[in-house]
Amino acid sequence: MKLPAAFRSSKGLIGAVLVLMILLVAIIAPLVIPPDMATQMDMRARLSPPTLAHPLGTDQLGRDLMYRVLLGAHTSIYIATAAVLMSIVIGLPLGLISGYVGKTTDNILMRLVDTLLAFPALLLALTISAVLGPNLQNTIIAIGIAFTPFLARIIRGEALRVAQMPYVEAARTAGNSDTRLIVRHILPNIMPAVIVQSTISLAFAILAEAGLSFLGLGTQPPDASWGLMIQASRDYLDRAPWTALVPGAAVALTVLGLNMFGDALRDALDPRARKGAT
Amino acid sequence: MSYILNRILSMLLTLFLISAITFAVTNILPGDVAMMIMGTQSNPEALEGLRRSLGLNDPLLVQYWRWISGMLTGDWGTSLVFKEPIGPLILQKMTASAMIVVFSMTIALTCAVPLGVWAAMHPNKWQDTTASSAALLGVSLPDFFWGIMLILLFARWLGWLPSSGFVDPREDFLLAARHALLPSLALGLGLMAHLTRMTRATMTGILNQEFIRVARAKGLGERTVVWNYGLANAVGPVMTVAGLQVGYLFGSIIVIESLFNYTGMGWLTYQALLNRDIPLIQASVFVIAGVVMLANLIVDLLYVLVDPRIRLS
Repeated sequence: MKLPAAFRSSKGLIGAVLVLMILLVAIIAPLVIPPDMATQMDMRARLSPPTLAHPLGTDQLGRDLMYRVLLGAHTSIYIATAAVLMSIVIGLPLGLISGYVGKTTDNILMRLVDTLLAFPALLLALTISAVLGPNLQNTIIAIGIAFTPFLARIIRGEALRVAQMPYVEAARTAGNSDTRLIVRHILPNIMPAVIVQSTISLAFAILAEAGLSFLGLGTQPPDASWGLMIQASRDYLDRAPWTALVPGAAVALTVLGLNMFGDALRDALDPRARKGAT
Repeated sequence: MSYILNRILSMLLTLFLISAITFAVTNILPGDVAMMIMGTQSNPEALEGLRRSLGLNDPLLVQYWRWISGMLTGDWGTSLVFKEPIGPLILQKMTASAMIVVFSMTIALTCAVPLGVWAAMHPNKWQDTTASSAALLGVSLPDFFWGIMLILLFARWLGWLPSSGFVDPREDFLLAARHALLPSLALGLGLMAHLTRMTRATMTGILNQEFIRVARAKGLGERTVVWNYGLANAVGPVMTVAGLQVGYLFGSIIVIESLFNYTGMGWLTYQALLNRDIPLIQASVFVIAGVVMLANLIVDLLYVLVDPRIRLS
């Protein structure tokens, strides 16, 4: 695995720097910014454009957009990371078993996965969130479940490919058990695909969280969320376009960073894709 | 022929599974349909009576059977929020959405294919960098953010197009198209970015292959090589991705139609979800998943027409 190669292209480097910066903000912001800074209302400075006192302006309730967008990073990254981890925890064993065992098990599992893929991911996430009741934890569950079939499908394909390789056959002939074959020989070789897919899924999860919160079926106030901020800006677009632009730019930079890094990572880890593919 | 038959049989099985999953997901809902119909203040005996008459006390399998046989025979029940029969309601909203789905797909394909080919023809030159960066930015912004920016620009500042609402095309097609344009653009931009990336990646792969080198060596013009030899081979994969994006579109229309107050299928589904209108949620989710599956089946069948290699194998 040549991880450092991902940083060699300028795309990978910019992406990695962006992701690192946003990760740092997401981790540090809630530790150093007192939570009331994001909810403190300055009634004399409602919908204020960027000024020295409020570098990114304020929203309709006079709340400082800089603090809100910084704390929103924590919510977005936390939800997206937890959701992707959840989809890996469910999708990895599903895909591995399906690809390794094959036959009827594979048929049944993949039929189920294909059916889930017929549901648009956002629709599935919205339905699950509406069913469970929208809150932070259920947003994670909703996005996590909605993303699982994608991951399971990709892991299954990789597991199938690796399981047929001569060295796996050799290891089997040498008397290794199925569990040992999967854990020691197949798993390490499908990890590159899992890492690439997880990075790309993270980008999608950030977008999904923003979409869910935008529709009121994700993060709930008073938690700061980028999707919620964009939702609130809708009625003040003429007078205060920055109320939409600030959270919009935050989403864009995060997703852009993840996509760039994901692209570079794929090029570096997958020699077949290195030739040309974006 | 057996390929097509096989695909249709497997589609029926998937449709059954879709219905089972839809029913299962909506049945873990903690809400009580009877209470939603009669209100929270109604007396417990009346509630129990309604539950019994609606069959809500029956085992889940019995309820599922009643629901699915209703769906298959055209009795889709009544919406709790709209107090209307669900079948005609969904049909009407689906027609409204069809307009923006077709518009956005057309916008996306007509821009993405030339852009992707153009980028692939000049790998790592400025043309490629420009197209690829624009596409990367496109996939990194949420659709509703595009929507808000389009409203700001075309509706509020320039005043060229209406910012919200739906007009029935049968009443006034031009006005209907004007109302559908901004939501279609908002959907189309993200889609276009995805398809540009896909076209570029596919075309780059194809242009590196032997037969392209042979075509060039034969002295064919670059235009013939790229469009006739290259693109002909990229049509299949690009079409498949475009088909897969129908699913993505039906997820996005929920957000976009709500943003633009465009009363189509996405808007209807959102209202159903917000109000926990269980019969309407079940029918909408089932219909959307069914349409997405159908779109993919059509693409698969078209693929057979476009690519003789599959037909012959």
